[in-house]
Amino acid sequence: MRRYLSLYGVFFVQRLKILMEYRVNFLIGATSTSFLQIGGVLAMWVVMRQIPSLNGWSFDEVLLVFGLVTISESITHMFADNLWTLGWQYIRSGEFDRFLVRPIDPLFHLLADRFCHDGIGNLLVGTALVVKAMSALHIPFTVATALYLVIAVLTGGAIFIALNLLTASSAFWLVDSIPVTFLVYNTYEFAKYPLTIYGRGIRIALTWLIPYGFASFYPASYLLGRNVGALAWMGPLVAVLFMSLAYRAWKFGLAHYTSTGS
Amino acid sequence: MPVIRTEQLTKIFRVVRKEPGLRGSLKALVRPRFENIAAVNQVSFEIDAGEIVGYIGVNGAGKSTTIKMLTGILVPTSGSVQVLGRDPHRQRVANAREIGAVFGQRTQLWWDLPFIESLALVGRIYEVPPARYRQLLKDFEDTLGLSELLHIPIRNMSLGQKMRAELAATLIHEPRVVYLDEPTIGLDLLAKERIRDFIREQNRGRGTTVLLTTHDLGDIEQLCPRVIIIDAGRLIYDGPIATIKERFGRHREITFETSEATTAIELPRDCTRLAAEPHRLTLRFDRTRTTASQIAAAVMEQIEVLDFSLAEPDLASIVRQIYQGGLREVEGNPRS
Ligand SMILES: Nc1ncnc2c1ncn2[C@@H]1O[C@H](COP(=O)(O)OP(=O)(O)OP(=O)(O)O)[C@@H](O)[C@H]1O
Ligand SMILES: [Mg+2]
Repeated sequence: MRRYLSLYGVFFVQRLKILMEYRVNFLIGATSTSFLQIGGVLAMWVVMRQIPSLNGWSFDEVLLVFGLVTISESITHMFADNLWTLGWQYIRSGEFDRFLVRPIDPLFHLLADRFCHDGIGNLLVGTALVVKAMSALHIPFTVATALYLVIAVLTGGAIFIALNLLTASSAFWLVDSIPVTFLVYNTYEFAKYPLTIYGRGIRIALTWLIPYGFASFYPASYLLGRNVGALAWMGPLVAVLFMSLAYRAWKFGLAHYTSTGS
Repeated sequence: MPVIRTEQLTKIFRVVRKEPGLRGSLKALVRPRFENIAAVNQVSFEIDAGEIVGYIGVNGAGKSTTIKMLTGILVPTSGSVQVLGRDPHRQRVANAREIGAVFGQRTQLWWDLPFIESLALVGRIYEVPPARYRQLLKDFEDTLGLSELLHIPIRNMSLGQKMRAELAATLIHEPRVVYLDEPTIGLDLLAKERIRDFIREQNRGRGTTVLLTTHDLGDIEQLCPRVIIIDAGRLIYDGPIATIKERFGRHREITFETSEATTAIELPRDCTRLAAEPHRLTLRFDRTRTTASQIAAAVMEQIEVLDFSLAEPDLASIVRQIYQGGLREVEGNPRS
């Protein structure tokens, strides 16, 4: 474990050196995602000027939900973006072989290989939204809330990574896994809003099937003092469950890896 | 104890067979027809510590697939493989520490990083002690001429430079076994020489065991006392290169340039005609049954000869014969 942490540090520093070589790309990448998120927030603001409350949720309360899921997303974006391109960049070209001749875990190698700076924008925007929402709503920032926030965000990040890993593992058969990942990943758009605005079906799906709800709605509800029962605390458990499921799928896929003919 | 041992090693790929055209694609999608390709078929061999073995065969013979099973990238369909006493796939990490692999068509380095940074990262992955790392880097700087390359990213390197960088990165953890899959592909003569010298030196100096695939028979002639030949997944020869040369080297080719047409000529005994040009006659003969002078005399009796030349077969033409099915002549060649 310690070895992997320090190794990640080395990979990270080398990655920064590459990024610094393409400084303009770095700036564009790091800010482009934030423009997208800001666009989303503006659209929501326009809508909510007409209807001051969304199913009993004020604009600032919705911002908290929005902000939390944005931070969680930024974690996958920064640390696990290579899962997206596993198929066409690594498996199709046979480059994945390189991971398998090295004495480290291939999944670690894949993820560490490319820290993705595009996620930084989301991290900043998400954090700004959460801070803005919390101060507007006068939620006291105590040690306990800080701790809860950190756990919530890490849980959310883990759920994002688990779902991406699960879908990316299909690349071992399909080669191009992007459509599958995209399909599942995109449902997180729903989790930018309180789940109460949706019908029962979607609510259940976003809680137990594609559990993005634990990355936004449930922790936000808890912080706002809205009663969601045990669901306020079940996030980490769900994250661990999905993570182990996803890791199994990955292992299964890996056993089916057949490399390429050239 | 052998360093590498395979027994009845087999890899079968299941691929979808597709008929041409859109209809074929659709059909393959709806009801896929699978086809099994035996890329490696019951191959058994042993390689001892410190050997350099050439692994050759035509395109698609199964060379790379064998290497992928030896490195632990692929699981054999059946049969077994052991490297340094381990199963390379099941004990992948332990195996990876002691082997190095170069796939000539790809790079294992980071495209955008200056080479020295890539190398440092590889050193960290293999946990090479810093003092040892510096020592090896210095060695490689001399033998591979690395100093001029250290600060260039891989993407800016020429093919020859890239291969030197690749070799350094593959050997920086001092692997006991090295697999080189076409290490000289696309290189000019000088670059090839340099790579060969380096491989030879690693083998002599450190006792590194090397398994090398190539389509360049110069590599084989200069580096490998022993070759293994596979064809359509099956091992067809395993033994000293000298044996092949001797068996096939029994044949000589003699070429006459003549002033008159050679079509009507009566061939001397014990030889066959190869080329059929009007003013040139090329004959192939077995030197244990007849001699060049006997043939020359028989030809000159019939026709005016302007010039003639005698050729010993080179390895390339020998291997061509073997690939074309001439191996029955050298069967029964197990290594003891
Ligand atoms: N991943 C794969 N999936 C399906 N078929 C494969 C795969 N890898 C190799 N093959 C097939 O197996 C056979 C052997 O291929 P291999 O790459 O081992 O040949 P090779 O001897 O290395 O050839 P070359 O000299 O062209 O590199 C070929 O028919 C190839 O099409
Ligand atoms: Mg090959």
